[in-house]
Amino acid sequence: MSDETILEVKDLKVHFPLRNGAVVHAVDGVSFELKNGMAFGLVGESGSGKSTTALACARLVKATAGEIFLKGTNILDLDGEDMRQMRRFTQIIFQDPYASLNPRERAGAIVGRPLDLMRVGKPQERRKRVAELFEIVGLRPEQQELFPHQFSGGQRQRIGIARALATQPELVICDEPVSALDVAIQAQILNLLNRLKKDFGLTYLFISHDLAIVQYICDVIAVMYLGQIIEIGTKSELYGNPLHPYTNALISAVPSVENLGKADKGHVRLRGEPPSPISPPVGCRFAGRCSFALDSCKKSAPRLTRIKGEHMVACHRINSDGKLV
Amino acid sequence: MSTRLLSVRDLGITFLTDDGEIEVLRDVSFELNSGEVLGIVGESGCGKSMTALALIGLIPKPFGRISNGRILLEGEDLAVASEKRLRQVRGNDISMVFQEPMTSLNPVFTVGHQISETLRAHFDMSSRETWSRAIEMLKLVGIPSPEKRANEYPHQLSGGMRQRVMIAIALVCEPKLLIADEPTTALDVTVQAEILQLFRELQEKTGTAIILITHDIGVVAEMADRVMVMYAGKVVETGTARDFVYDPMHPYTHGLISCVPKLVHNPSYDPAPLLEIPGVVPSLRELKRTGCPFAPRCKNEIDKCRSAEPSLAEIADDHAVACWNRMETAW
Repeated sequence: MSDETILEVKDLKVHFPLRNGAVVHAVDGVSFELKNGMAFGLVGESGSGKSTTALACARLVKATAGEIFLKGTNILDLDGEDMRQMRRFTQIIFQDPYASLNPRERAGAIVGRPLDLMRVGKPQERRKRVAELFEIVGLRPEQQELFPHQFSGGQRQRIGIARALATQPELVICDEPVSALDVAIQAQILNLLNRLKKDFGLTYLFISHDLAIVQYICDVIAVMYLGQIIEIGTKSELYGNPLHPYTNALISAVPSVENLGKADKGHVRLRGEPPSPISPPVGCRFAGRCSFALDSCKKSAPRLTRIKGEHMVACHRINSDGKLV
Repeated sequence: MSTRLLSVRDLGITFLTDDGEIEVLRDVSFELNSGEVLGIVGESGCGKSMTALALIGLIPKPFGRISNGRILLEGEDLAVASEKRLRQVRGNDISMVFQEPMTSLNPVFTVGHQISETLRAHFDMSSRETWSRAIEMLKLVGIPSPEKRANEYPHQLSGGMRQRVMIAIALVCEPKLLIADEPTTALDVTVQAEILQLFRELQEKTGTAIILITHDIGVVAEMADRVMVMYAGKVVETGTARDFVYDPMHPYTHGLISCVPKLVHNPSYDPAPLLEIPGVVPSLRELKRTGCPFAPRCKNEIDKCRSAEPSLAEIADDHAVACWNRMETAW
């Protein structure tokens, strides 16, 4: 990791208006920073806004407010050809390798498409580069001639990864890259992602709902709840000393082999369900389900406050020493 | 607790394809006592769900058929039972919870209606009786204000709530056996914890035996009493949950456990690369009939593995493994 900032997101908001005039607050004031060579994890449950945040960073959904700096340039100010050129530096690995590859195109053409679109090198050099990419992700160069349906799920995800690496991006957004794969195949892809990060100095924005996978891949992790970051910290800060009651509940809910035969014990239980993002509560958004919530939690929203090092938490009940008060 | 409920012997299932008849399950044998939880694990395409479908007589016809073996539910062979008899068994003696709660509920009927429907199919009850029983069930599975929810449609409920409704439907006739096929895979982790706890509570209350099909090693460890590992349509290892976690003997079982990242609370944790199982599950069409089906992916492979197929052999009390060169020490 170096000190160079690749991506900086400041107070990002993504709101979706509904037909009846209501507004879905999918992402509501999110800020974070990615240093070069870092794997940054966004975790949260469905509807927490993690994928929308990632898509906004690639400008695939329209940000309502805020700023997104990619290598110092606010990409929300760019348009037309300038934005198109910028896309070279941000690529995405998608969740479903069955839906994200064109079934009518040969694997080699799929991987080479970003090179063609960005006019990288001469056609002959591009072909060489595609063959090289196949090798990098663990496929045989002669497999370029095959169509997606001739590959297994894991191999398809490798094609998706090769395509994402084609233009030598600095930021790779991984949106649940292994959740559609079988467990044994997940390990192959996770190891590949780790190796590529090291070999090519890639920066990952890694979206996942699986806390064990995030711990395996990421250096810094942000936990999202109902469109906001409620806790952020390095891997050791967040897993060694989770502070927010929601983070604690999330970590505790993961079934583990250590709880052999004890499904009914050792888990923090959460009451109810997340409130609607259409009319989020005024106070702390987690207060309604939190067993530590006081009346004051429902009145004002807590701000993300630095505790120590990288560790920040948004909770009224945690004091500046990181203790529950 | 320990009366024998289900006994599956040498179960084989074949499917008719363009390439002729292929075997999708071979020599599957296992026993289940009442009140017990059996976990079935393995990758997709290993025969887990097919085993479950065979138990309730739902193998896709006419292409699939039970070619061999017996399925004894309290002594009655379901493999040869008539369709009429199977209809009585399904939902009443054996019921099933599927992975995706949205696609397994009917969108045009209220959830209360769908729960009562199950009762009406099996018992001669008035609609008032079935409705009040439906509300009782919704309460039992932890749905708040059940009287109101009973009148709602599936789309008005969240994913976790829908899965609770599915469980209510499955349990309303107090079945002896509940088959849960990846019941929490589509759910968020906090909701999953709730549903698993619900399974535990209900099982303690009703004494229902559960077959839990999952690929999540953590879920198996927390829920199951015994575990059966399947690969390419065969059982490769069976044992207690403790054996499965701490003393896996088949290289495949060992691989399944080691290839998943585990959540670690130690702040100085620096993960080593995950152990990989190379390659993929073989297509059953291409499966060679000689040797161990796992051999091409196995790190313990020896010469014998390519020439002869190992069968399940008991190596300790209640621990059997099908392997010529099994793992030696616990990890």
